[in-house]
Amino acid sequence: MAGAHDSPEAPRPPAASRYVAWAGSVGELCDVVDRLGGLAAELGAPSPDGAEWHGQLFGKLRPQVTREPVMVAAVCGGTNTGKSLVSNVLVGAEISRSLPEAARTRCPVASLPRGLAKAVDLAALFPGFTPRAWSSDTDALGGSAEGDDLLVWREDPLGRQPARLILIDTPDVDGTLRENWHRAEAVRNACDVIVAVLTQQKYNDAAVRDFFAAAAAGKSLVVVFNMVNWPAQRERIAGWYATFVAETGAAPLAVYAVPHDFARAESGTIEFFQLPELTGGTADPAAGPVDLAAALAGVDFDRIKLQAMEGAFRVVLDPSAGMATWLDAIESSSREWRDARGVLAEEAQVRVELPSAPRELVWNEIWEWLEPRRSRVDINLSRLYRVAGSGAAWVGRRIGIGRTAAEKRDDFAAVELSALKQALSTFIDRLDGACRRSPRLRALLGDTLVRGDRAAWYADLERRHAALPMVSDDYRIFVRGELDRFSRENPKFLQVLLTGLSLGSVARPCITVGLMMAGAAAVPAAAAAGHGLTTLVHTAGDYVVWAVAPLAGEGVLGLTMAGLKPLLERLFAGWSAERSRVLTETLHDVVLGDRLEVIERLATAGDRPEVTRARRLLYDCGREFSR
Amino acid sequence: MTDMPLPDPNQAPAVVPPTPAPGFDDAGFDDLVTGLSRWSGSLPDWPPARRVRAEWEEVAPRLDRARRELSRVLVVGVIGGTGTGKSTLVNALAGRDVSPAGDVARPTTVAPVVVVARDVDCSWLALDEVGARVVTSDAAAVANIVLVDCPDPDTQGPGTPSLAEGTPPPIGGAQRPSERNHNRDLLERILPACDVLLLVATAQKYRSWSVASEVAAFAPGRPLLFVQTHASRDADIRDDWRRELERQGIEAPAIHRVDGLEAARRAAAGLEPEPGFAGLVKAIDEELVGRAARRVRRTGALDLAGWFLSQAHGHLAPLRPPVAELASGVTAQTGRLEGLMEKAVAGKLRASRPAWQRVMQEELVERWQGGPFAMFLHAVAGLGSLWPKVRGGGLVGRILSGQGVPTVAAGDGAWQSIEEVGLAEADVEQSRSILVGLAARATIGEPMVGRTRLDERAVQTSVGTLMERTGHWLVGGVDRLVAERRDRVDSPLLHGACEVLFGGLIMAVLGRAAWNFFYGHLWLGHPLGGLGFLEEALVWIILWGLFLRWIVFARLRAGLDRDIAGLVTRLPGARLVDPFLRDFAGAAATTAAFLETGDDLARRHAALEARVEEGRSTLGRLKGRAP
Repeated sequence: MAGAHDSPEAPRPPAASRYVAWAGSVGELCDVVDRLGGLAAELGAPSPDGAEWHGQLFGKLRPQVTREPVMVAAVCGGTNTGKSLVSNVLVGAEISRSLPEAARTRCPVASLPRGLAKAVDLAALFPGFTPRAWSSDTDALGGSAEGDDLLVWREDPLGRQPARLILIDTPDVDGTLRENWHRAEAVRNACDVIVAVLTQQKYNDAAVRDFFAAAAAGKSLVVVFNMVNWPAQRERIAGWYATFVAETGAAPLAVYAVPHDFARAESGTIEFFQLPELTGGTADPAAGPVDLAAALAGVDFDRIKLQAMEGAFRVVLDPSAGMATWLDAIESSSREWRDARGVLAEEAQVRVELPSAPRELVWNEIWEWLEPRRSRVDINLSRLYRVAGSGAAWVGRRIGIGRTAAEKRDDFAAVELSALKQALSTFIDRLDGACRRSPRLRALLGDTLVRGDRAAWYADLERRHAALPMVSDDYRIFVRGELDRFSRENPKFLQVLLTGLSLGSVARPCITVGLMMAGAAAVPAAAAAGHGLTTLVHTAGDYVVWAVAPLAGEGVLGLTMAGLKPLLERLFAGWSAERSRVLTETLHDVVLGDRLEVIERLATAGDRPEVTRARRLLYDCGREFSR
Repeated sequence: MTDMPLPDPNQAPAVVPPTPAPGFDDAGFDDLVTGLSRWSGSLPDWPPARRVRAEWEEVAPRLDRARRELSRVLVVGVIGGTGTGKSTLVNALAGRDVSPAGDVARPTTVAPVVVVARDVDCSWLALDEVGARVVTSDAAAVANIVLVDCPDPDTQGPGTPSLAEGTPPPIGGAQRPSERNHNRDLLERILPACDVLLLVATAQKYRSWSVASEVAAFAPGRPLLFVQTHASRDADIRDDWRRELERQGIEAPAIHRVDGLEAARRAAAGLEPEPGFAGLVKAIDEELVGRAARRVRRTGALDLAGWFLSQAHGHLAPLRPPVAELASGVTAQTGRLEGLMEKAVAGKLRASRPAWQRVMQEELVERWQGGPFAMFLHAVAGLGSLWPKVRGGGLVGRILSGQGVPTVAAGDGAWQSIEEVGLAEADVEQSRSILVGLAARATIGEPMVGRTRLDERAVQTSVGTLMERTGHWLVGGVDRLVAERRDRVDSPLLHGACEVLFGGLIMAVLGRAAWNFFYGHLWLGHPLGGLGFLEEALVWIILWGLFLRWIVFARLRAGLDRDIAGLVTRLPGARLVDPFLRDFAGAAATTAAFLETGDDLARRHAALEARVEEGRSTLGRLKGRAP
């Protein structure tokens, strides 16, 4: 800096700097981060907003690689160390009120060279902040809620600020208001030169050290020791400075001391004494105060800028702290979600033992299909059977041992509803269990299971069940389709079926309802169709159909039954699976909502092309950068 | 310093004889502590109560010590950020350089320095553990207190491993000097031994986050003294500091403002202290010595108990609505299950018409003795008993047929045996599942409540209890119903009327037969009509008897349905379904009682505090949030 100070008018290198070449990669990286941002937040991966690489990428590289860059110098330090005072002196006007109370500067205040406000996008330069034009020196005191993320700016009224230099006063880094720290960190990430205001009380505070240590890579640092007994403490400063450098790893451009002087502080005319012996020069005890603003104006912008940009790039590409760690976090979160999905598939499976299907329901459908295909004799015969059958049933009902069809259906529906409700209870219990096993699932489903109105779930199931017709149109279509197919495949089908019809067949189905089962293939067609149900709630029928032959000789029928059995199984099981669909609908629509899709999406997030692309980009940039 | 009233150190009472503090209710406080101890451990299965217990275990030893060591001298810990002049102030109070102070390097104090009067025994302080150095002083200000110059909390980084852990991995390649800094750890070890905190701050550090967080951790139950140092260099920030403390929940009636360097210089030179420092010494003398020490300890203990209660309130307050919801949920689910039972039991009772008939006939036959109609009833009953008696099945049938309460089958049979009273496994599980959700909202889980599905043993006992209770309740209800009905027909008038009506026909038949024989046959000479007339008459007598019987039974049956409905409405009073939801009802009751006891203790604490409020000193304190 000393050299730069000697020749403020030295010719600058051409604007076509090296970093212009990085513009394409930076754009792509930003794009990929934007695309992955929402997904990462959903995955529970740490937000990149607070990360340094993110600040460097979006605050420094993106707004500045594409055009002639500006240089941002930020005045940073602990509470009440005189940051605002130093800022005002650097700007040459009171942009930020300097007060005896600590932590009063709540939002950063930027001073722009004349005419720059129109040329730069401050919101892009300082991501996360809302720029607002300066109105008075109390703007920075904020205090109200609206002061929270403001960045107050004004153009240099005196016109002496160098054309590409933005000076900025920041909130404290160690006070009791933590949001001030975050604002200071955001400004630190976006700036090129830091004016570190230190005091003998604070130069070794952990909060202060850590703040500047994070800036040491890539940023140029100017150290100002404020409130010094000058020159009595000149030698002490060397010790403090040595500690500071050892702790932060910084290599400051220059070190200045500001004598403690109430009157000068009041009038804003504090003096800066350089300590060149600390930055490789020789001490000159007789030297007078220097003009820090002029010294800052005289630095080699392009060199510092290049250094800052390279530093920024290094931060972004750093495998242990840069963007790669974020991608790692996304992938590891995705792995955890994959495990969670496994837990869910394993736990959330319930076997529903439905009551035996009332066989006449299925038979009626078959009869109806058969009606146009049967001979007259056959029809008359069966009509006779029906009349006889209904007569016998009437007698049965009269003596109290038979039940009407409607009563039977009611009985069946009651037992069926009971089975479905019990299955729902078991399901909820299993989900509770899955949440206990997997913290990820607990995060996603726990709230539903704890806060959800379980009584409403049961009510929903009851409502759906009550509204479910005994035989739905879907099922009719399914039966007709199955029978058509069967008759095409078996030309002698009709005869076989007619023989089969004289049998009573009883199906006692067991339906397994589960979430995210791998390879759940045995889904009866009728159950899977329609209603926009997610494919993530599975219904698999592991059903058994017993055929009994109460009337005719079993031996004769054995042969034909062999061909018919799979069809009957499908028809009965399809009916039962369709009945149990109300359970899956309740589970999906009321209990779980779209959370299963979320889990599925998150579990496969690690394999998304964006992640792969981001990895490749980082690799390419790393190679490019090291060349 | 010499102008201060200097008591002879040898006569200075290190141990003050106990005297009752005005306004402090010792017995009441002891009761409160006993109550708190019992309360905090009363519900170990409930996580929030466990948390309360864990906090109590932190607080209890301190309360205990405060009560046991009422007369011991107070230990005053001097804390504050590095460079605020703690050591300088301690030196000024001690009247000589006992602790290294200055601006050479931060931090200056790395091991605690304990300043005691010559005759004070501080062996109980366990100073070796923290590597403290003990120095003696004859100064009046420290004659009756133990002063501890503590290390600062702000130079140790957040990532520094604690003293017990190994060497940390170096950050950024080289190890930073501060990684060997354990000042905050040392501070956190010495502070538990302190009774009072003397908080030292400067204009630069009164809003320091690291200091504020240590104060927040150690202020509960410890009165606070506040001192702004560097009075000659810094502006007076006491008003703003007070506001900041207020924001942190700390009450600061008085803040002293001193210049430590000047005070130390004057003390060393034997000059009269400056007013600020004299005020501080006076405050120490008035607030921390002798009788005041007892008051400090007691009010500190009371504050600590209050802080504990307010913390507990903070944990428990959000759980009040869920606990109340659980209680009302238990009521709702009990009602639901009872509704199912009501419906089923009423249906069963109504459907058991033959059984009722038999019961009432038996009653009637037993009461009505003598007379032809009674004989007729006996005969009918006798004939009826020839009919193979259909043994009543199920609970209701068995009870109506007087077979008593059936025993419960094992295994799945247990559920089947209560199906007839309207409860199915699915219904119970539905209720339990809903309650599991409500309990989870109140963070109540196993082992306080069971899971949705009852295990086999629980089913066995619950069903057994339910059947037994239901049986006894039904037996009582049926007996009452039968007795009422019996009373209805058990009147001599009705009996007499029936006998007259029935006997009348017999008499008429006999009269007619006699007339036919004596007048018709013997007198008029008609031929005998044979037994034809009697056969015919017998048929009419039987029909007449049956008709009368029907009338009597109609009277008995009248309003049976209404009475059955009346009987089942009394079902909830019998608390029949409680066994299935007992764990939830119990959990709701115990948690509500826990909350209630906590409120009661808070009220008792408030009453105790109201009594000491007037005697409060100018010492600062952390205000507990009002429970």
